[in-house]
Amino acid sequence: MSYVPGQPVTAVVQRIEIHKLRQGDNLILGFSIGGGIDQDPTQNPFSEDKTDKGIYVTRVTEGGPAEVAGLQIGDKIMQVNGWDMTMVTHDQARKRLTKRNEEVVRLLVTRQSLQKAVQQSMLS
Amino acid sequence: MAAPRSHAAGPGRGGGAAVPPGEPGPANAAAEQKGRSAGERRKECVHRGTGGPEETNRTTSLATDEDASRNCEMYLPAYCSPSAMEISLDSEEDMYRDAEEIEREKILLGSKTSSSEYKPSVAPEMDIMEYCRKEWRGNTPVAKRMRKGYEAVAQKFASIRRVRGDNYCALRATLFQALSQATQLPTWLQSEDFTKLPENLLSKYDWIKQWQLKQKLGRKMGEISDEIKEYLMLLRKKWKYISEIKGPIEKQEACDKLFKNEEEEYSLYEALKFLMLNTAIELYNDDKNGRRVPVFSWLLFARDTSSNPCQLMHNHLNQIGHSGGLEQVEMFLLAYALQYTIQVYRLYKYGTDEFITLYPNDPEEDWPVVTLITEDDRHYNIPVRMCQETKL
Repeated sequence: MSYVPGQPVTAVVQRIEIHKLRQGDNLILGFSIGGGIDQDPTQNPFSEDKTDKGIYVTRVTEGGPAEVAGLQIGDKIMQVNGWDMTMVTHDQARKRLTKRNEEVVRLLVTRQSLQKAVQQSMLS
Repeated sequence: MAAPRSHAAGPGRGGGAAVPPGEPGPANAAAEQKGRSAGERRKECVHRGTGGPEETNRTTSLATDEDASRNCEMYLPAYCSPSAMEISLDSEEDMYRDAEEIEREKILLGSKTSSSEYKPSVAPEMDIMEYCRKEWRGNTPVAKRMRKGYEAVAQKFASIRRVRGDNYCALRATLFQALSQATQLPTWLQSEDFTKLPENLLSKYDWIKQWQLKQKLGRKMGEISDEIKEYLMLLRKKWKYISEIKGPIEKQEACDKLFKNEEEEYSLYEALKFLMLNTAIELYNDDKNGRRVPVFSWLLFARDTSSNPCQLMHNHLNQIGHSGGLEQVEMFLLAYALQYTIQVYRLYKYGTDEFITLYPNDPEEDWPVVTLITEDDRHYNIPVRMCQETKL
């Protein structure tokens, strides 16, 4: 899902509400992220556009909070609790997802299958 | 091993300090206590010195033909030849290691001898700062400098891949990086005459008969010509195959498959060495004919041990992979031969303007860039710009 700088981004998004799981001292979400404006986007196997420096879900732990909430591998994270995730560094993304005082994170994600489904239904 | 040894011992270094052979001066950064086992450390310190008593011995030993290789073996310091390294628990070493280190090394050697044949030549990725923390504990000035250096690298690269530390490591690291990002054959590889190179050069320069093939000293013209031609063809074949792979992950996998410490891999290094000889001959002749040559070419041939391409071959190129690795001026030669710019993070130079050195210094615009890391200009590792992945 490419975008032209300066143009509004339109995307079909899915809301995902993840309830973090407490493991000892940590609150875990049960997924891994890749990407960020400080990263090399050509290495991202999930993005359609190899210049896309967004934050992508690279792994989902089976049975973990993220999977339960419906997050899928390859999802691109657009927002977390209202904070934009399309123009952040990898570390900023990590911080926004792992705030100690937040037990629930509400994500807006987009995925290629969603885009395609909407496109199909628009054609018919 | 004829190399001079220097000691590093004292408070704040933690345990004994086994010191691998190395020349005095900044290159001895590698000799500092790093918190890894002596066995490992030795493996990574490989090259012969630049300048020093050994060098002058070499000039007098520059006999011709048959004698050349034998004499070179005798006079060139042989740092870390693999056989010496594997079973080197001699008493001299024990003086400088503490009990813990000795135990660790025994375990390492045990596992190494069984699996060293099958280990990939380029290790899987590891987080750079994690690697740095493991390698450089302690608070010596060198350790601090190394950590700062790695931090600087970590701003651009997320991971590091350790490269097998034999005397081929500079060639290995450079070729691996070049192939990992190759999207097309370089122009010099595309040329029709590329594979005719060995026979052309051999017909002009008889001394190339002394080229050291992988295991043996070549004797017959036909034998050398054919073998090198095979290596060059292999290089072209592999480069073409890998450059045509579209997906970055598949491309990386193909590279990993190629660099698995088997014959093919070493044939490629021989091809690179031959290309370096070819480039050296071109530069030498250009200079003799009054044409402009890059500055490093003067430095290359200003050395006592390589005042012409024939000596370069005998005393340097023939030794690469055996008793010596690439000296800095030869990194320039490699870059020119491949028409690649080799960018090196030289960690022991952190804080100076040589921290990031480009070979060649004034890179050509259309030469692709590959990046390497070295702590000491002896051993090279590979920084990788992978997508950082964080588990949440």
